[in-house]
Amino acid sequence: MTARVLLAVAGVSALAAIPFGLGNYGCYIMASVMIYAIVALSLNILIGMGGQISIGHAGFWALGAYGSALAVTKLGLPFLAGVAVGGAVAGAFGALVALPALRVQGHYLAIATLGFALFVQQVLFEWEWLTGGRQGLFVPRPALFGFEIVSDFGYYYLLFAIFLLLAWIAGNFRNSLTGRSLMALRMSPVAAECCGIARPRHIIIAFIISAVFCGLSGALYGHLLGHLSTETFSLAASLSFLSMAVIGGLHSRAGALLGGIYLALAPELLREFKEAQMVIYGVLLIVCVQFLPGGLISLPDRARSLLRRKPHGAP
Amino acid sequence: MIVQLVASGLALGSIYALLALALVLINKATDVVNFAQGEMAMLGTFICFTLLGRGGLPLPVVLALALPLGAAIGAVTERLTMPPLRSAPPVNGLIATIGLWMIFHHGAGWIWGYDPLSFPSLFSPEPAHMLGARVAQNSLGIIGVAIMVMILLYVFFDYTRGGIAMRAASMNRRAAQLMGVNVGRVSLTGWALAGAISVVSGLLVAPLTFLDFEMMVSVLLKAFAGAILGGFNTLPGAVIGCLLIGVLENLFAAYVSSAFKDTFAFGVIIVVLMIRPQGLFTRSIARKV
Repeated sequence: MTARVLLAVAGVSALAAIPFGLGNYGCYIMASVMIYAIVALSLNILIGMGGQISIGHAGFWALGAYGSALAVTKLGLPFLAGVAVGGAVAGAFGALVALPALRVQGHYLAIATLGFALFVQQVLFEWEWLTGGRQGLFVPRPALFGFEIVSDFGYYYLLFAIFLLLAWIAGNFRNSLTGRSLMALRMSPVAAECCGIARPRHIIIAFIISAVFCGLSGALYGHLLGHLSTETFSLAASLSFLSMAVIGGLHSRAGALLGGIYLALAPELLREFKEAQMVIYGVLLIVCVQFLPGGLISLPDRARSLLRRKPHGAP
Repeated sequence: MIVQLVASGLALGSIYALLALALVLINKATDVVNFAQGEMAMLGTFICFTLLGRGGLPLPVVLALALPLGAAIGAVTERLTMPPLRSAPPVNGLIATIGLWMIFHHGAGWIWGYDPLSFPSLFSPEPAHMLGARVAQNSLGIIGVAIMVMILLYVFFDYTRGGIAMRAASMNRRAAQLMGVNVGRVSLTGWALAGAISVVSGLLVAPLTFLDFEMMVSVLLKAFAGAILGGFNTLPGAVIGCLLIGVLENLFAAYVSSAFKDTFAFGVIIVVLMIRPQGLFTRSIARKV
């Protein structure tokens, strides 16, 4: 336990120190690491705890981004209130998608989220007077208590703090009665339901929390980018989110952070491969599901158990 | 007007139905929902296009090669991805098919480029006269091809050992295994069949919409919508659901809004799940515990 706490403290201080050695672009990348990590956190709750899958998280991301941008520009709300509006809008739509899909067993939720993401993207594109449609929408820089956060360096620390807050909430949710019930449902729906756990209600709660987290991340992303256009929220974005969450590790908050790092850095590292990048992501995703289902975060454990088994296991 | 709309709707619906058949087949055989089905169809169609253009093969030969080609794509994919996942939770299988989606989708864009290509029409452009209206031969041809595929599938499932083994495995995998059904081979057959059927749907879509790496995304969504409408675990139900989607979507585009034609399918998914989640043609099955 103490080793884990030490590791967490070391990780947090490293993340707090890194931006000092980076230029403007590096800070931008680090800020997107945090934004992606929040999405990975939201998928951790949905897939890792609930055993449900979404291939439409770009839709919630978009709702959060546009919700916050419109609340700030059209209603004149302050930045943090706008971000909260973004999360709330995404959560409300999460409930709308999940409610019908969960009355049936099977992967209907995944299919519904696929339709949902395409639907959101098209509505945002067609609804020109509100969202700017093809031209997109300009989003002001984030501001706290009347002070505008001009640099990505400053914004990174705000995002880091928000990530830590959400990770803390996710951890508490995991240990709550609802969280435990959810994990029981994932492991054996029949046994859990026999213990009086209502399947639809719990999964809907998980889905809404996941949608809210994703919406918050989208809202924060909009203020980082400064300009929104519907192309950002394509199906490819949903799938990248999913692969980052799986590759980082679905069952741990540090895994979510690793996923965020992966998704933000991979395009930089794989720039040589240009158009083949997404193909590489796909291959990595499949290999990871097959041989490392716990994600990158489980790598040390896996290596240790392999090393330990070697002297005894060989025939 | 209405006859044309219904006929072209039925033709579109037949295309969705073929893809839906592939989806339901794999789902029944292995409990996996294959999100990459449409992309496998697209890949097969691109390979056919290359055989036509660069290979210089005549169209009938390419069409004859399409089925084995699709089956090979399905079988190879299954062998490379599914065996390690057989004992894993079903969500992992689904995630793997999403990885396949990324590989096929962006792989095709990478290899063949991102511009739409025109694919030769399989049927004569002359309209035929039916019920006092002029109906495109293309529509009739598409419906005919779909019916042929369905008859072949029916024969396979009712009269061959492989088909009966697949039905048994889809009803109760463990019992079928105890009776000597090779579940691994059932999975392989399911994927191969689904690959072959979906390439047919890809070949039928390409002349209508241009050959493009994005062409199957909305078709996949509509195949899902149709399969949910009809009931995801029956083949005939899925076919009828898709035909309904094709016709209704055409009428919706003509009389309500053409900009939101593609989101119509999503509306259907949500409404069906709300009102009749088991689909139109299946009774809800009580699960034994």
